[in-house]
Amino acid sequence: MVYKIINNKFRIFVESLLVVLVIFMVGFSIGFYIEFSRTNKIATNYLEHEIEALDLKLQNYYYQTLNSAECDAAIEQNFIFADKIYSDGLLLEKYEEANQITDDLAREKKRYVLLKTELWLNSIVLKEKCNDPFDTIVYFYSGDPSDNLALSKQKVISNVLKEVKENRGNSVVLIPIAGDLGLGAVDVQLRAHDISDLPAILINEDKILYGYHDVEEIEGYLR
Amino acid sequence: MGWVTTTYIVLFFFGMFFLFIFLFLHYHNRKRLFSSPPVGKYRSVSFLVPAYNEESSISDTINALLNINYPTGKKEIIVINDGSKDGTAEIVRAFARKHGEVILLDKINSGKARSLNEAIKIAKGELIAVVDADSYPARDSLMKMVGHFEDKNVAAVTSRVLVKNKNGWLERFQVLDYSVIAWTRKLLDFVNSVYVTNGPLSIYRRKVVLEVGGFDPHNLTEDIEITWNILSRGYNTRMSYSAIVYTTVPSDFSTWVKQRVRWNLGGLQTVQKYWKSMFRRGEFGYFVIPYVAASFFFAILGFILVIRYFWVRGSYYLLSGYYSLFGYNPFQYLELNLNLTLLMLFALTFFALAIFYYKIGFLNSETGNKSVLKILAYSFFYRSLYVVPLIIAIYKLARKDIRWYTK
Repeated sequence: MVYKIINNKFRIFVESLLVVLVIFMVGFSIGFYIEFSRTNKIATNYLEHEIEALDLKLQNYYYQTLNSAECDAAIEQNFIFADKIYSDGLLLEKYEEANQITDDLAREKKRYVLLKTELWLNSIVLKEKCNDPFDTIVYFYSGDPSDNLALSKQKVISNVLKEVKENRGNSVVLIPIAGDLGLGAVDVQLRAHDISDLPAILINEDKILYGYHDVEEIEGYLR
Repeated sequence: MGWVTTTYIVLFFFGMFFLFIFLFLHYHNRKRLFSSPPVGKYRSVSFLVPAYNEESSISDTINALLNINYPTGKKEIIVINDGSKDGTAEIVRAFARKHGEVILLDKINSGKARSLNEAIKIAKGELIAVVDADSYPARDSLMKMVGHFEDKNVAAVTSRVLVKNKNGWLERFQVLDYSVIAWTRKLLDFVNSVYVTNGPLSIYRRKVVLEVGGFDPHNLTEDIEITWNILSRGYNTRMSYSAIVYTTVPSDFSTWVKQRVRWNLGGLQTVQKYWKSMFRRGEFGYFVIPYVAASFFFAILGFILVIRYFWVRGSYYLLSGYYSLFGYNPFQYLELNLNLTLLMLFALTFFALAIFYYKIGFLNSETGNKSVLKILAYSFFYRSLYVVPLIIAIYKLARKDIRWYTK
């Protein structure tokens, strides 16, 4: 029966279809493999950061309750952690752009947002305890922008903030947080600071900026 | 997976599917590409040459037809002067005085299809050979085509069109274009799916042309329409790859667009007319109609995706340009995401396959081997221009603005 089908006038069509199906199966297998590898990398990094975050939290308890003279060490640890989280966040964004079949990164993204929120709260505690030694810039953006223009706008703002961070080095903690992923901890912060629209820049838990602002202007709000 | 990714995947899937069909057709039939059946019976042939303001080319066309190798008394040349305002009629009259087989049919202007239908009434040949007035069949072309009519089910045979004028960049791209078109058309012959019998030189069985009601004067590409009409009635059409006809192609972009708008409009009209035969009758219903309809559909879809791509990428740069007025420096942030994606994989496979396909096509045509660079220029630059006449054609079809655009 199969022999008959292959040898009739539709042979060419059947052959072509089979070859294309094989190519697509191989393509999808490679695609899945690459995307799972990326998700695994992000997940593994997250596990490491989770331990670091816990370590940082415990250090803070210690400095708060036992030794108030250890601000410098605590601040340094906070910056190291912030830098790692920030660069992993950028990597996650790139992977998110490249992953086209699986959406496992969305879950990882939520975990990272929570970790960043924890970093922010940690930074607030440190600032209170150590007499405001640095600035915090929290960039609330949309994880699912309504249109392409909104996405481009976010990218521009993100680049400006990156430059501010590069200029100011360890006197600024930059924390980008997706504000519309339905996470309670983030929603509470948005409400607490009366942030109604995304993207928004919150400087030192006080000044809220909407829309585009250049590097100089933003630096003007810093210490 | 979002709709954009899904659409790309569907496009790549069908693109590769069609490319493989052609590559397999070539592989299985490569030794039969240039062969044509021997002539058993020398059937009488009436050449019909519709002409409208063709004084610059008509002499060469008639000379080419007079020189065609075929038994004496078995051919006649009817030039239909379709109300020309130039000296076409006088030139043909002069030929008619010298050569008994040349006949001038003078009529008021009514278009190519009506001209052909009128000429068929006075044509005596068992076969009707339609030749454009700016085209020049090779001496042996008829002998390479007539043999196909030994098969009683064959109603039309078409030829390989080559470009005569090869001076400018557009003409040189058309040399490549016509080569690929002819090669793929020959490949379609092996699955009984030759869906265009071209204007420069195609031969029809007169009886069948009358049976299908002649050429459709309401269609802008009467050659495509009559082929579909013939196929829809269960007849076969053939392509003789060794039968060559030279034609003059547009040398400027505006004429090229006008010609292609007409081709597209005619093609769309034909798909519209025979839409209901889809999945109904043999290769015609199961392959020709879906293939042509899909070609139009995917071309439009591809265009939309390209526009979308440039909008997505471009909007960021536009916005950056705007913000640069307020101190933003976009050049500081140029970066490329080089992470491998599924679409990149499929796109690379598809383009590699397409280059291989063109390479094989050129190798088996008069152009010979072409470098990858030339193939890339042809496929990425020239073939991208296809979308211009297609969009104009769709716009005109939507507005029911259907006219002959070339002259």
